[in-house]
Amino acid sequence: MSAEWRERLAAHLIDCGVEADEAARLTSDAVAEAAEMGRNPEEFYGPPISYAKTLAAAARTSGVPLDRQRGGVVLRLTGVSKRYRRRPVLRDVSLTLHGGEIAAVVGANGAGKSTLLNICAGITRASGGTVERTARVGYAPQQHGVAPLLTASEHFRLFGAVYGMGARKAVSVGDHLAKQLGWRPRPGVVASQLSGGTQQKLNVVLSELNRPDLILLDEPYQGFDQHSYVDFWDQVLTWRDAGAGVLVVTHLLHELDRVDHVLELPRVDES
Amino acid sequence: MSVLWAVSVTSIIELSRRRVALLFVLLLPLVFYLVRIDVPWQALRFLAIGVGWAVATLALFSHVGARRIDQRLSVVGASPTALFFGRQLAVAAVGLGVVLVYFVVVALTQDVPRLAAVALLLATTVLVAAPLGALVSAVLPRELEGALALLSVMALQLLVDPEGSFAKLMPLWSTRELAAYAIEPVGVDRLENGVLHFAITAVLLAATAWGVSVLRLRPVQLPAPKQ
Repeated sequence: MSAEWRERLAAHLIDCGVEADEAARLTSDAVAEAAEMGRNPEEFYGPPISYAKTLAAAARTSGVPLDRQRGGVVLRLTGVSKRYRRRPVLRDVSLTLHGGEIAAVVGANGAGKSTLLNICAGITRASGGTVERTARVGYAPQQHGVAPLLTASEHFRLFGAVYGMGARKAVSVGDHLAKQLGWRPRPGVVASQLSGGTQQKLNVVLSELNRPDLILLDEPYQGFDQHSYVDFWDQVLTWRDAGAGVLVVTHLLHELDRVDHVLELPRVDES
Repeated sequence: MSVLWAVSVTSIIELSRRRVALLFVLLLPLVFYLVRIDVPWQALRFLAIGVGWAVATLALFSHVGARRIDQRLSVVGASPTALFFGRQLAVAAVGLGVVLVYFVVVALTQDVPRLAAVALLLATTVLVAAPLGALVSAVLPRELEGALALLSVMALQLLVDPEGSFAKLMPLWSTRELAAYAIEPVGVDRLENGVLHFAITAVLLAATAWGVSVLRLRPVQLPAPKQ
């Protein structure tokens, strides 16, 4: 019983992205701890699948980074600054982001987080410094990222056309990605009829439809419930593990231990 | 599916879901037509201006409403040219649908010697109005300001002395020539004047609106990172 539980826990840990050696170590520790308490691991920890998720999450948040392959540089900011007329918004921002890494952009309101994301997207021109960025990019703006009078599948077809995907494939991929965020698009329902959180899920799905090398996200989880929020971060980690670089603007500091870089922007007029 | 075609199709779908707006696009020219139905020459010209106003307003709202999503699409690789002409095609298609209805209305309610000229008059009006609305949306990217600007243009179009040289600077001056050719026993020179004015106006409006739109939508060219 204990041996079977042990094997299943190790297998589920690997499924959760934990390296085999680390999974074996965590499994041994768990079994030893249960033995010390004189308990059966199944009774003590519960089913291996649920305990594996807890252990894997703990491994990530305890500062033990999961080994993974980092790719080439997908975004490099060197001394980037931005001013609107005479008012400075960003000053001397630098960051190098590789494929397989996550960078969080944090800062107070007005610190220029969205401006920085727009510079990375190519919507806004930097006043100084250099921006190098991979061409295959996904982009989810904070607001107005979807067309209110189009359904989810119409969005998928439209964006799919830009990515050179066939209509059927675009809808199929879009539906699959939506499911990973816990959402099943219903036919005939236009974006304006969706809740704020579901509109944001559509926004996020559109940003990853073409499996880009770099995903730019501007606080995309607004309106998400707790479950969707967890799904979203799982999705971000999945993109990362698949080799994409992710730049996410956020103000939720408790997720920062899950990211590789934290870029804190001060208010320029306060610095 | 090409981006141009995809944008056109989705724009038509979006427009078709604004049913009340479409109803007004259909009714506005009727009001203009009925006001002058007793004077055939003027009824035709007013109808054309009503069509022009309705289609230009539709184009304005279509382009302003799509601005943010078009910006997003251009960031991920869509050509700003395809986005612009895709939306223009959609507005023109809806406008041509509207004028088809009015062509039948005119054929049934007026004794017009040159009915084909009416079709030309209405079609050219749509093809001037669509880029006119797009140009206003590019210069004034807010709906209220744009709608007021179009109101001013159309009011001026109605009020300006048609014999004055300033009238030729108005976007729908060609409607006067084409309406005269359709109704009155005038020479082909009026037809030529109208078609020439239409061609110059449509090309100028479309080229300017396209140029401004591309400048607004084109993302900053970012070099690939050195490894």
